[in-house]
Amino acid sequence: MSEKKSRREALGLAARGVALVGLGGAAIHLFRRPAGESAWQLDPNKCVNSQLGVVGVEACDVCAVECVLPLSAVRAINESAICGRCYICPAYFDVKSAVDEEGLPSEKLCPRDAIERYPIGWVDPDDPANNYYEYVIDEERCNGCGLCVMACKEPAGLSSIQLEVRHDLCVDCNRCTISGVCPEDALDRILPEDFPLSVHGTRRES
Amino acid sequence: MEYRQLRTYAGRGTNEGRFAKSLRGLAIDGSGRILCAGDSKVVVFDGEGAVVRSWATHASPWSVAVGGDGSVWVGEAGRVEVFSPEGKLLRFWKSPQRFGRVTALGTVGEEFVVADAADRCLRRFAADGTFLNDIGKDTRMKGFLIPNGTLDFSVDGEGILHITNPGKHRVERYTLDDRLLGHIGRFSGPDPSGFSGCCNPTNVTVVGDRIYVTEKAEPRAKVYDLEGKMLAIISDDAFEPGCKNMDLVVDSAGRVHVADTVRLEVLVFARDESDNE
Repeated sequence: MSEKKSRREALGLAARGVALVGLGGAAIHLFRRPAGESAWQLDPNKCVNSQLGVVGVEACDVCAVECVLPLSAVRAINESAICGRCYICPAYFDVKSAVDEEGLPSEKLCPRDAIERYPIGWVDPDDPANNYYEYVIDEERCNGCGLCVMACKEPAGLSSIQLEVRHDLCVDCNRCTISGVCPEDALDRILPEDFPLSVHGTRRES
Repeated sequence: MEYRQLRTYAGRGTNEGRFAKSLRGLAIDGSGRILCAGDSKVVVFDGEGAVVRSWATHASPWSVAVGGDGSVWVGEAGRVEVFSPEGKLLRFWKSPQRFGRVTALGTVGEEFVVADAADRCLRRFAADGTFLNDIGKDTRMKGFLIPNGTLDFSVDGEGILHITNPGKHRVERYTLDDRLLGHIGRFSGPDPSGFSGCCNPTNVTVVGDRIYVTEKAEPRAKVYDLEGKMLAIISDDAFEPGCKNMDLVVDSAGRVHVADTVRLEVLVFARDESDNE
């Protein structure tokens, strides 16, 4: 009797141990995933919207329309250190629209009005061109359509705006639906240390 | 007023008269020869586009100009070199601070002026290299607005500097002692009479009472009068779409030579002979 009980206890202990190891492994997996495992990443040197030398073509909106999320996990970011802070930003304004009474393009480029513009310091009312302007992308509105990326690309702009997979939003599908239809095969599942360089040659944080 | 394309010369390649990586600066000498600066050399072409001579520069040139005595001035990053018309190095100055990136230069009498794109202003020097004053630096923006990365200027017959300020869509006129006299140009969106995009015009040359400019995205060349009235679009479809900062010169026959910075060739345009304007 006592022998049977001790065997039962031993089996129970073993089962609990296996369960604990399993839970611990899962916890370690969940803990390590953002830093140590692969994730979907967009290569700006392949993306047609940011790839240098590709000019005179329509912006590609595959990232906006193919992601399984209601609002794509691919969003535009503006690298402030590179941005020219132009008075007439071709990513903020539709520079081909008619000029309004203030001498500015009458229409904005982003169909979701996701770029906000702030003058840096006071604006000279007699010469508002005599100033720098900060451009900030509202990530709650951006859907990664790529219009601003294409408009900001060299030689029109300085290529400070690029698309990026937001890993805090991406649900990490085993087979990313965007990657399946991306015309430039610009999405890859890669390790963090292999995250691609930006078109400027700097390694991008993710 | 209408222009048509006559021919091209230079181009991408490794031969003496071609450029492998860059074609950034153009100048014209008193005999109508065109000097092209790019890669790490200066190439002199005759009026028909044949190579006359070439020589190496210390570093990759950003600009080239011809002095009143025929000397050839080359602007680089941190350095200005002066050559004889035959390409012999006569003298040079080094200064990472005052010649940060010399994207234009020229002589005015005994003095010379450089455009330092790294510091977004022009600098005036005596013939012996003594610094005299900055031009366009003492402004609210502490210089010209050049997101395009180059600053260009031209000196007219009165010694007035016509300087591109592309972030403001203007060509501004300054005296040598840094007085702003006025400007032409405004942002005009799709209307070609002004300037388009984020930052245009990128390059300028003034000949007589004409101001010739180039723009980027989409690349084109245009000509204005001194009051800022556009007289003609010289071309808006002859250049590679990715071109920017296309330098230009005008020869004594009024032909406009424009550097295509992608194909690394020079395109020559002439007034249409049937055009009597």
